[in-house]
Amino acid sequence: MAAVAGRTYPAVTFEVDPERAAAFARAIGADPAEGVPPTFAAVYSLGTTAPQLFTDEEAAVDFARLLHAEQEFEWSRHPRAGEAVTSRGRVASDTSRRGMRFVSFETDTTDAEGAPICRSRALFVIRS
Amino acid sequence: MSQRAVTFTREQIAAYAEASGDRNPIHLDDGFARSVGLPGVIAHGMLQMGVAATVAADAAGGSDRLRRLSVRFAGMVVPGDTVTFSAEPAGEGKLEIRAINQRGEPVLTKSTAEYQLRGG
Repeated sequence: MAAVAGRTYPAVTFEVDPERAAAFARAIGADPAEGVPPTFAAVYSLGTTAPQLFTDEEAAVDFARLLHAEQEFEWSRHPRAGEAVTSRGRVASDTSRRGMRFVSFETDTTDAEGAPICRSRALFVIRS
Repeated sequence: MSQRAVTFTREQIAAYAEASGDRNPIHLDDGFARSVGLPGVIAHGMLQMGVAATVAADAAGGSDRLRRLSVRFAGMVVPGDTVTFSAEPAGEGKLEIRAINQRGEPVLTKSTAEYQLRGG
């Protein structure tokens, strides 16, 4: 298997659609009137960049054997509905032990001025 | 302490799949889920994290104050499971998050949050 620590992916810009953010809020039992839910970062940050890792043939992540083991979001602020944000994903570490591969995938999301909004850290475990 | 008990349903899981864009069939199709060794469809870990965030937001005094949320996905949640989420103060601006199912098993572990204090 390929170890691809340090690999970075092209920036992805995403507009926070107000209706989708409201539907997301309802699905988690939050009040859509309170604005974009913090964990909408699953969409605008992790969700825009993780597919780049999963479709990277050199990274060779077997999606069928993948487990999302841990997730962390750190927010500088939360985006507003309608705002365009830009995310950049990278493989922070890629190690194997006891037949398991551990991929730490980090994403930095910034606003139109380049100011930080969110950092996502996902730990994926891939069984061999 | 903020607390919320949620009984997960197929409808909620499907609504989350639609809104999040994560339409992995393990969350939507029982036949597919069984074919990969699951008991049937399971809730998204990120749906559990989303509910945990609402409880953390209550404890923090508003979702706009949340600055960090970290979880470890420790157990499967299937439709019909009732999970009690709680957020408990753990120092200034810090919360400890728990999510326990109806059998007393944790589904999220090592889960913590931080928030911006009032006037901060």
